[in-house]
Amino acid sequence: MRRWLWILVFALGLAGAQTVGNEPPPDLPPKVFEIAKKLRCPVCRGESAAESNAGVTEEMRRQIAEMLAEGKTEDEIIQYFVDRYTEWILYEPPKRGLGLVVWLAPVIGLGLFGFGLYSYLRATSRRAAELEGVSDEELARAEAELGRDDEGGPPS
Amino acid sequence: MNPSILGNIGLVLAVFFSVAGLVAVVFSWFLRDARYVRVARRSALLAFLGTFVAFGALEWALLSDDFSIAYTARNHTSASPTWVKFATLWAALEGSILLWALLQTLYTWLAGRRMRDYWTSPVALGTLFVIQLFFLVNVLFVINPFTPVPNPPADGPGPNPLLQNHWMMAVHPILMYLGFVGLSVPFAYAIAAMVTRRYQTWVGETKWWLIFAWGFLTAAIFAGGWWSYEVLGWGGYWAWDPVENASFIPWLLATAFVHTAMVQERRGLFRSWNFALVTLAFAGTVFGTFLTRSGVIESVHAFAGGPVGPIFLGFLLVILAVGFSLLGRVSSEVRDVGSVNVWSREGLLLFGALVFVVMAFVVILGTLFPLLVEATSGAKVSVGAPFFNQLFVPLGYAMLVLMALGPLLPWRRADPETLRVIAWMAVSLVLGTAVGLAVGWTLWVSLTVGLFLFNLVALGWLVASPLARKSRALGGVRAGMGSLAWTRRRYGGYLVHFAVALTALAIAFSQSYRLDVQKTLQIGEAWQVAGRTITVHALRAVEDPHRYSVIADVEISGMGLRQPRLNYYPTSRTPFASPSVAYTLGKDYYLVLQAFDQENAQWVTLRLVVTPLVLWLWVAAVLMALGTAMILWPARRTARAGAAAGEVGA
Repeated sequence: MRRWLWILVFALGLAGAQTVGNEPPPDLPPKVFEIAKKLRCPVCRGESAAESNAGVTEEMRRQIAEMLAEGKTEDEIIQYFVDRYTEWILYEPPKRGLGLVVWLAPVIGLGLFGFGLYSYLRATSRRAAELEGVSDEELARAEAELGRDDEGGPPS
Repeated sequence: MNPSILGNIGLVLAVFFSVAGLVAVVFSWFLRDARYVRVARRSALLAFLGTFVAFGALEWALLSDDFSIAYTARNHTSASPTWVKFATLWAALEGSILLWALLQTLYTWLAGRRMRDYWTSPVALGTLFVIQLFFLVNVLFVINPFTPVPNPPADGPGPNPLLQNHWMMAVHPILMYLGFVGLSVPFAYAIAAMVTRRYQTWVGETKWWLIFAWGFLTAAIFAGGWWSYEVLGWGGYWAWDPVENASFIPWLLATAFVHTAMVQERRGLFRSWNFALVTLAFAGTVFGTFLTRSGVIESVHAFAGGPVGPIFLGFLLVILAVGFSLLGRVSSEVRDVGSVNVWSREGLLLFGALVFVVMAFVVILGTLFPLLVEATSGAKVSVGAPFFNQLFVPLGYAMLVLMALGPLLPWRRADPETLRVIAWMAVSLVLGTAVGLAVGWTLWVSLTVGLFLFNLVALGWLVASPLARKSRALGGVRAGMGSLAWTRRRYGGYLVHFAVALTALAIAFSQSYRLDVQKTLQIGEAWQVAGRTITVHALRAVEDPHRYSVIADVEISGMGLRQPRLNYYPTSRTPFASPSVAYTLGKDYYLVLQAFDQENAQWVTLRLVVTPLVLWLWVAAVLMALGTAMILWPARRTARAGAAAGEVGA
């Protein structure tokens, strides 16, 4: 019974794995994967067309290999997929329009949080300047109370 | 007695004792009576034991193939090997939340045992009780795994095949949850600090827990990367998948907080910001849970949707609301004083934290951007690995520079003595980069090599110079006794920094020089590729109780026989490719069986991925774990042992 089940499973699995009968899939040179990495897998999330083993991406890699063999350039191949799927197929957002917002994320973050840090530091040092009158002795005592970074083990 | 009854009894007891603990801390707070805290601590232990009973009941059902409850009927099969049966508990939604609840009650109990301050501990314990109640109530009422099944099936479908494919699946989730849940302790202390207006000491009290959780998060992320490498068959270890990002965000924020906590401890600065950081880090853990349980995204990690998504979103919003409304009061009361010299330890620590926060910002924006764009304009965009890789290069460089300089500089001031070391570091940076370019590596890789050396020189000096100084001063005898634990912790930190630099090097090379190629070979045919000869010897099939496998015996010259395979599970239409990885110190040879001749077994299609230095990522992970353990190891034992042994160091 179990063996029979396995044969069934096996057959089903193969149907999924190899879409074109018992023909071997094409040989793919490294360049195919380099290009496929720049395209997304249309049916998965978080995978490029180079990584996914979905049927669609196997077909995409085959097409890339064919177009390379025809002598098409990388840009032409990518354009072919953009024409078919729109720019969504590119695995990185376009560097213009709305897409620019996400490309500038580090700059925005650095500006936002950097400004926060800057104004914080300016405020604290201004307050420190106001407290100039405090004696070194008092400062040292305060420092001793704060400087407990040698403490180890769970807090007790 | 059956697992269903036992599990529900355990859960009810856990909820009961959590409520009892919560009531006790409320009494303790309002009556100002410390005895109630002791009651709450005992309740925490009992709540943990109750949850443990529920956990045990579910394991009992799994290991005894009892299909009379919902969880086993849906996610289990009697054909699984024993370790898979055991790990099936966290292979699906209900069980994984039960595991989360178990670890939460464990942390509450352990953290409660350590609380001595009768002013803050009611609030800290109370916060932990509320968090654990959230999980326990969910498991008991919303997604109860113990719901009896009217007509128990003879067998179930089993867990997701992808999760049965590698033993790491038994380890990675537990590490991740230990990290996620562990961040609840610093969060609870922060809430207590804000409520009781004791803004300074909580970071010191909670530092051990923070680093403990950080260590597990780090280990979990590396373990996940290794699992992905070993199982998913695409030859990579990090894909910037939304769920990977969701685990990376709390890590980045926790890392920032680890560093700013030092600034607060030492100089009393950054106090409001630390409350914000710890709140965001803990909220980040819940955000990750929300992403995986809500059906918003589909990935390896996603569990079925249902009511859990909105519930977790609500919990996330409550955490943020509570944290930030308290913070509103803090920021109007806290007036930090102290001028910060940018060119000092604290200056660089703050800049380092800034880099980590910006990294977190980039990951959050990049992950949510497609959802935001689609919600606002209906357009579809993809934000994938190429995007994150490009943006993380400059941020990573900034991190590498700061992490080398930070530990060198003293607190408060710039040190002229270290300038000489920094000059040597700069020389090694330039030399390393130049040599890299001369060898023909790309600019980015060469710069990473330079920055690796930059760090190496800094760490070498840090390790060598205090030893030299100490032995000069004290004749090398009693040098360490008093500060042995302190030295060990410092060296632990250095080891972690070294491992991060090593990780950067491994990432730079493995991302830049990867060869990916696919070829169909006849049985017996030899293939010359990447400096090796690959020969296919045979193709065979193997039947296990829980799966059917097709295995290719492939020889890589000089590396012996490799066996990439395709595994067929009864629940899945598509097979799962189990790659075979030949690890070396230089390049990994990664073989995937893509397809094979089903009729005559005459040919196989192989995919070969050759990636340099990947092995060093796993070495770095082990070093990071060791470094973290060195930091965490309790000091008192060492000190006591030293005292008992007298002047043994002499």
